[in-house]
Amino acid sequence: MEPAFAMSGAVAGFEKRLRTFNRVLTTRAPIAQTPKDLVWALNKAKLYRYRPTVDPTHQHRLPLLLIFAIMNRPSILDLRPGHSFVEYMVGRGYDVYLLDWGAPGYEDRHLKLDDYALEYLPRAIRKVKAIAGVEEFSMLGWCIGAILTTIYAALRPDEGLRNLLLLTAPLDFSNRNSVTFARWTDERYFKVELILDAFGNMPAEMIDSGAKALKPIENYITNYCKLWDNLDDPRVVESWHAMNTWVTDNIPMAGAAYRQLIVELYRQNRLIRNELVVRGERVDLGRMRANLLTVIAEGDHITPACQSETLLAKAGSRDKELYRIPGGHIGMMAGSGAPRTTWPHIEKWLSARSG
Amino acid sequence: MSETQEKTSKTYDPFEPFRSMRDTYLDAMAKAMVETVNTEAYAQATGAMLEGYLTAIAPFREALDKSMLQTLQQMELPSRQEVAALAERFTNLEMRLDDMDAKLDAIRKHMEQNGSGPQSGVGKAAAATPTPRTGEGGDHETAVSRPGARQPFVRRKLSRTRR
Repeated sequence: MEPAFAMSGAVAGFEKRLRTFNRVLTTRAPIAQTPKDLVWALNKAKLYRYRPTVDPTHQHRLPLLLIFAIMNRPSILDLRPGHSFVEYMVGRGYDVYLLDWGAPGYEDRHLKLDDYALEYLPRAIRKVKAIAGVEEFSMLGWCIGAILTTIYAALRPDEGLRNLLLLTAPLDFSNRNSVTFARWTDERYFKVELILDAFGNMPAEMIDSGAKALKPIENYITNYCKLWDNLDDPRVVESWHAMNTWVTDNIPMAGAAYRQLIVELYRQNRLIRNELVVRGERVDLGRMRANLLTVIAEGDHITPACQSETLLAKAGSRDKELYRIPGGHIGMMAGSGAPRTTWPHIEKWLSARSG
Repeated sequence: MSETQEKTSKTYDPFEPFRSMRDTYLDAMAKAMVETVNTEAYAQATGAMLEGYLTAIAPFREALDKSMLQTLQQMELPSRQEVAALAERFTNLEMRLDDMDAKLDAIRKHMEQNGSGPQSGVGKAAAATPTPRTGEGGDHETAVSRPGARQPFVRRKLSRTRR
């Protein structure tokens, strides 16, 4: 009898694993759950304000505006309850706002970095200041969001930006050997105009497969093996499910902004050289005045450290700090170690400058 | 016996015996692939593939676009370009409204400071109090937009302009 029972138990266990595996791969986890209100909208962009959870007397005076990349959903900042940067900051008395750029349609193919940095962003900031009733604010930019916030900080140094936090900021493209994307997008091989002629915008699928191709085995095989190995651990499964929900929810990138990113930044490296011209204004990083914290993930293969390090020497800010942390491009903010390492450091740095 | 069954059902994985072998193999493969994708040859090959694909589909895409345009014209429907142009105009309008919104905010603030506004004293609260906006928002978000007292004013101004 015993071998028969053992066999049926094994089959049931294997079936359970398969069911869990299938559920995680084919369903969406509930992400971005922190309560928020929509306070402003323009075209596809939406500005959210997170509902405060601490007593107003214990709140920081300066609001914090979060700016994520334009080709991914910002829900990674608010991944899941108990593991959300937004929730963490709201719980520590910050008035947190999030600018969601939305998914550009064909009609948005002409949107440039200029439009994002000098049309959308200043308007959202104006709304944040009006709601918060203050003239100063803090801003956090991540990935392409860090490019936009850097451009804004350099072009509008007197508009109330007191603190600027840059996470994995791809600003310097001079070290082409260390930046795989720079190699791939070399003008000899990569015809950006052909893509934009065909699609208008840079398709989400192409951005996603490009990012995954940087580490193909990890992204296409090892990642799923890790899930399979941990199917008995609900914490790992739910964490994986939430991350997979975010990773698979990709959005296209506005065509003109993508062209600028490839041609003017990846190929010509104009931003760090103070040669980038946005709406007729030259972006001079020496004009930056905001207190500056640059966070670098040492294991970042999308934005290697060399792309962010040089900003400190170029930025005109007096108060500036470089913070290195183990982890990858996304993992440093959304990984299991982030609540113990990255978030407390950011909070401590900001707290000292948000009074 | 049931304990044995429970234990087995939780842990049984037919691939378990091969796990360490699999991990060793994948680690080696991962390193090799990262080195491969970092080469000029890989960049050249993927670039050529992409270019070939896009060049190959271009005539078909063009033909499809033309026939679609003709069909839409025959049906007296707007083309994709026309709809896109309309959307761009909407965005421009939205920007103008947003600027007007901000100017009204500034005027209200100024009137409050001088104590001469009809809404002095409540203006600031109104500006900070979001008003629900229908048709937007998810489970945990309340959709709000412009301060409630201001929106009818903007609408009145617009309808007056239209007349």
